Amino acid sequence: MRIEKCWFCSSTVYPGHGIQFVRNDAKIFRFCRSKCHKNFKMKRNPRKVKWTKAYRRLHGKDMTQDSTFEFERKRNRPERYDRNLAENTLKAIKKIDKIRSDRASDHIKNRLKTGKVQRQKEARKQLEQGIHLVKAPLALAQDSSLHLPKIKVNVSQAQTEENRPMEE
Amino acid sequence: MVQYNFKKITVVPNGKDFVDIILSRTQRQTPTVVHKGYAISRLRQFYMRKVKYTQQNFHEKLSTIIEEFPRLDEIHPFYGDLLHVLYNKDHYKLALGQINTARNLISKIAKDYVKLLKYGDSLYRCKSLKVAALGRMCTVIKRIGPSLAYLEQIRQHMARLPSIDPNTRTILICGYPNVGKSSFMNKITRADVDVQPYAFTTKSLFVGHTDYKYLRYQVIDTPGILDRPFEDRNIIEMCSITALAHLRAAVLFFLDISGSCGYSIAQQAALFHSIKSLFMNKPLIIVCNKTDLQPLDGISEEDRKLVIEMKAEAMKTVIGQGGEPENEEGVLLTMSTLTEDGVIAVKNAACERLLNQRVELKKKSKKMNDCRNRFHVALPKPRDQKERPPCIPQAVLEAKAKQAEEEKKRKTEKDLEEENGGAGVYSASLKKNYILASDEWKEDVLPEILDGHNVYDFIDPDILLRLEELEREEGLRQAEEEADDFEMDGEELSPEEQEALAEIRKKKNLLIQQHRMKKSTAESRPVVPRKFDTDRKFTTKRMGRQLSTLGLDPSLAINRARSKSRGRKRERSVERGEADGGDTMDIDGNQASKKLRLRSMSRSRSRSRPPITEVLPGEGLKDSAQKSYSYIETKAPVLWETFHWKDGQALRHVQEIKL
Repeated sequence: MRIEKCWFCSSTVYPGHGIQFVRNDAKIFRFCRSKCHKNFKMKRNPRKVKWTKAYRRLHGKDMTQDSTFEFERKRNRPERYDRNLAENTLKAIKKIDKIRSDRASDHIKNRLKTGKVQRQKEARKQLEQGIHLVKAPLALAQDSSLHLPKIKVNVSQAQTEENRPMEE
Repeated sequence: MVQYNFKKITVVPNGKDFVDIILSRTQRQTPTVVHKGYAISRLRQFYMRKVKYTQQNFHEKLSTIIEEFPRLDEIHPFYGDLLHVLYNKDHYKLALGQINTARNLISKIAKDYVKLLKYGDSLYRCKSLKVAALGRMCTVIKRIGPSLAYLEQIRQHMARLPSIDPNTRTILICGYPNVGKSSFMNKITRADVDVQPYAFTTKSLFVGHTDYKYLRYQVIDTPGILDRPFEDRNIIEMCSITALAHLRAAVLFFLDISGSCGYSIAQQAALFHSIKSLFMNKPLIIVCNKTDLQPLDGISEEDRKLVIEMKAEAMKTVIGQGGEPENEEGVLLTMSTLTEDGVIAVKNAACERLLNQRVELKKKSKKMNDCRNRFHVALPKPRDQKERPPCIPQAVLEAKAKQAEEEKKRKTEKDLEEENGGAGVYSASLKKNYILASDEWKEDVLPEILDGHNVYDFIDPDILLRLEELEREEGLRQAEEEADDFEMDGEELSPEEQEALAEIRKKKNLLIQQHRMKKSTAESRPVVPRKFDTDRKFTTKRMGRQLSTLGLDPSLAINRARSKSRGRKRERSVERGEADGGDTMDIDGNQASKKLRLRSMSRSRSRSRPPITEVLPGEGLKDSAQKSYSYIETKAPVLWETFHWKDGQALRHVQEIKL
């Protein structure tokens, strides 16, 4: 019993799930659910369908090359059973998994970093340019930091700071 | 025709029948209905089709005839000669030639008439042309009628010819009429030939088959031959002569010892000598028949001498083939078909001689050499008398013996199953015979799937090493990552700055929304100008709040606004206290409410107003010059108009008429 990969979306197909299609040239296509199967029948290219792993890998959204992928390889020659080896393998699988997912999330984080930097720059610029909307130039001249001005409360008025923004 | 099967030739119809067949077929197989109203091309086509169809049929049928009848040059000369003997070669060829010409003539007729039909301009004309064409074709066939009849006769006769294979083993029986050839034939084969006391009972060749040493032999019975010069022979004799001439067979020359056939031995000997040239290269056996009437020893001296002479001739043929000269028995034999004495011996002798001759011939031919090479078995020459049997090592013998023993003693899985409760109860442990490093591991169950991975894909003897390497790499990478992250943190905004940014964005959104509302309602709904502030939105309190959120001190602005709107008396009430919360006033000093201005102007001035050209603070003008200029520009034209409203175009500078 093996876990296979869906041909369309590359998700795992557990035994008892999905559909297998064998073409006349003996190539086998496995699908995890009818969504992928129907997409295949419509002759859609998974590399162009946004939610598939193939698209994500092709367009650099997900990690493509890594040494953790080389641990998992279809071996056609079975090894003789060795208890120690089996134990080690089972433990190793967990560790390798963790490392792989860490690296994948790091990859994504790095990818999004440039956007973050850009957004921060934009925010700073917006703050600098728009500070006049919330702080009068006189107040700015007195206190040149880009913070909201401190509101002087008149005690006789008996109105607190928090209520003010709400009344508008 | 290769196997000389003349039975397969199709029947040749005679002239009239031929015509009938073809014409009726034309009528049935082509369309029959035509009207004179049809288009002319259609009419032409209709009749052309008929003419062509008829021609094609004639052509077909005549071609089959020509092709099915054998060509005398292309078949075995035996058959060629036989057919020539029976039905003159020349007549035969002529008949076939006539058929051929008829065929060509018909083709020509059809072609001509089709050409004429192309220009037929009416139904009647086309029809007549077609009638003429068909008529001419039929005349041609009528003319070759006799040839057709002749060919039909030939065909019938040919079908009845015996199917003789000229290449296989054949035995030919010849001799004078009535010597006992046909009886011999009946004896050795299953053929049922007519045997009668009169001469020329057998009028043509007959074929029978017999077996010898698991091989089939053809036996051909010929009509009797008389001793005549060659040219005088009739057709029947010519048949046998042809057979003798062309077939490669063993010849049995029959001799009637007793003379009861009506011819003496001398006559028969004479015949023998006249046709001995035909016995070239054929194993010849002289058979003395009818020994029951007259034994061979009892004949007269001259007869015996003649017989010896014939024997000598026969011996020559034996020597000519390379056989041993001592073997005399095979050459001259005696028998009696009545008593069946010696019949088998004769047959055997004949078959044997023929077989030997054929084998000899085959041996000399090239094909045999190829076969012979394959039969060669190479054996090493023995150099001494020592025996050398095949050598089997002792270990193998012992192992074989042991295996045999084990087979008997071994306990099978089936026995085990039966011991432990039978088929449904016991399930054999398939892992019993595994060869593992430790026997405790035999019953271990290894999961095949773990966390969405196939475990078997990960099994690798050096997985530990690789895992260590990987973890080291990972450690390094994580350190790098942290360093990078550390660098990154400089750029962020502080929480107060973020607050400010949020406020800015909110304000911007609000402005945008208001603008959009204004834009959408501007054309459809007129907006009340600000000075008619019925909702009482624009208060000093509001202004004060807004200014203070911007970080300014609003008190000065509030005071000024109030002073502008209230006038002098109200000022005093402001100074007393602001507990009442303030009235709704315009904050713009310039545009005071009309009512209030009127009221204030109608009352006496308690405070002097400043001169017109003096600039008051808050007006937005630079100096008095600018103010006076602004008056000139804006107010002066209005004043001029108010005082000169009576002036028209025509009434300029007209003095008043004094009465």
